[in-house]
Amino acid sequence: MAYHSFLLEPISCHAWNKDRTQIALCPNNHEVHIYRKDGAKWSKVHELKEHNGQVTGIDWAPESNRLVTCGTDRNAYVWTLKGNVWKPTLVILRINRAARCVKWSPKENKFAVGSGSRLISICYFEQENDWWVCKHIKKPIRSTVLSLDWHPNNVLLAAGSCDFKCRIFSAYIKEVEERPSPTPWGSKMPFGELMFESSSSCGWVHSICFSASGSRVAWVSHDSTLCLADAGKKMAVASLCTETLPLLAVTFITENSLVAAGHDCCPMLFTYEESQGVLTFGGKLDVPKQSSQRGLTARERFQNLDKKASSDTANASLDTLHKNSISQISVLAGGKDKCSQFCTTGMDGGMSIWDVKSLESALKDLKIK
Amino acid sequence: RRTGEALRAFHAAIRSSPGHSRNAALKEQAQGTMLKVLTSFKSSEIEQAVNSLDRNGVDLLMKYIYKGFEKPTENSSAILLQWHEKALAVGGLGSIIRVLTARKTV
Repeated sequence: MAYHSFLLEPISCHAWNKDRTQIALCPNNHEVHIYRKDGAKWSKVHELKEHNGQVTGIDWAPESNRLVTCGTDRNAYVWTLKGNVWKPTLVILRINRAARCVKWSPKENKFAVGSGSRLISICYFEQENDWWVCKHIKKPIRSTVLSLDWHPNNVLLAAGSCDFKCRIFSAYIKEVEERPSPTPWGSKMPFGELMFESSSSCGWVHSICFSASGSRVAWVSHDSTLCLADAGKKMAVASLCTETLPLLAVTFITENSLVAAGHDCCPMLFTYEESQGVLTFGGKLDVPKQSSQRGLTARERFQNLDKKASSDTANASLDTLHKNSISQISVLAGGKDKCSQFCTTGMDGGMSIWDVKSLESALKDLKIK
Repeated sequence: RRTGEALRAFHAAIRSSPGHSRNAALKEQAQGTMLKVLTSFKSSEIEQAVNSLDRNGVDLLMKYIYKGFEKPTENSSAILLQWHEKALAVGGLGSIIRVLTARKTV
């Protein structure tokens, strides 16, 4: 796996451009830095400075090549590349708390922002006024919206919140699109309509993801659970109480397989068995190579004794690639139905690219369905 | 025989746990019963008892263990620590996380 250490501080959020040659990330401050791949190296090519608070979300629209960023300064900016400069356009979200996540819709004519104002701002461009406007989805959200994901039909939006619930809303904007056709989540989709709401788990919903077809939605909560709602089974929810620390990010890699990662600093595979409506743990994806067992020199023993008050030979540092919690996962190649590559970024300031085929051959018991 | 009785009492206590009750007296009684059952086990029997539980059972056991830690009696902490070690091996850190995040306590 390819691991690159960008920073000594956490990467707050990241987004890739269409051909995966550039990555935009927030280095735990008010800026967005764009790095371009230069052979085996990464070179910083842009610094986007406009936000007055930490940038909490970045999304890069693949076709229109526009960036959208949101931050704790309660603002969102849409960035357009003019020549070699990224120009920001302020979008008034009409919120009085920090923005926490942002996602372009599949057709890139809208984007959604989740915030601490306990609502979702759906923003679209109004041609006549040459201005981004937004509509709010409020009811029945009771706390901060931490995560968002769009359904492929460009209308339905899944939202994970600190009120422990996963919800699917309609974000239909008649000004920019046709009436959507019926989906397994329902037929009537006026703006703000609640199509699905999970019963309470007991943890903040950190991350939420629609499957490629949109008929399944999965989310991870702070109570160390992974849940999946299947519209094909009348929205039945399968949940798995994991043995791990809470997961912070989840994505589908096939229609039946998920990769999730979090405070255990290691991506893990989960499988959904449709016939039984059950989620199972499929194994850790970061299995360190056996480090050579060598004895400690006398000097190292003494250092250990001095530093850790123990001459134990056991390695006290993490064996995983990431040395701190993984906070975000993104699909790089293959889409959410046939993912062949995905990327993780974390609080260790590092970014890792995982190749699914390599994982399958390296970890013999791995079964990706 | 004695082992069998302790195990049966254990399963009965797990099954009849008043999970969603708001009745404080009822919960306190259940805690007391569970503590009695847990302390009646020999150290060597604990692992088998834990392995006989399903995922929800392990989570529930972990909640009772921490509840037991809250009000320690003469010897309770020692035996509870042994239960904790075995429950942790099966339930992982996730089971402890769920003790912390649970909104309905035992």
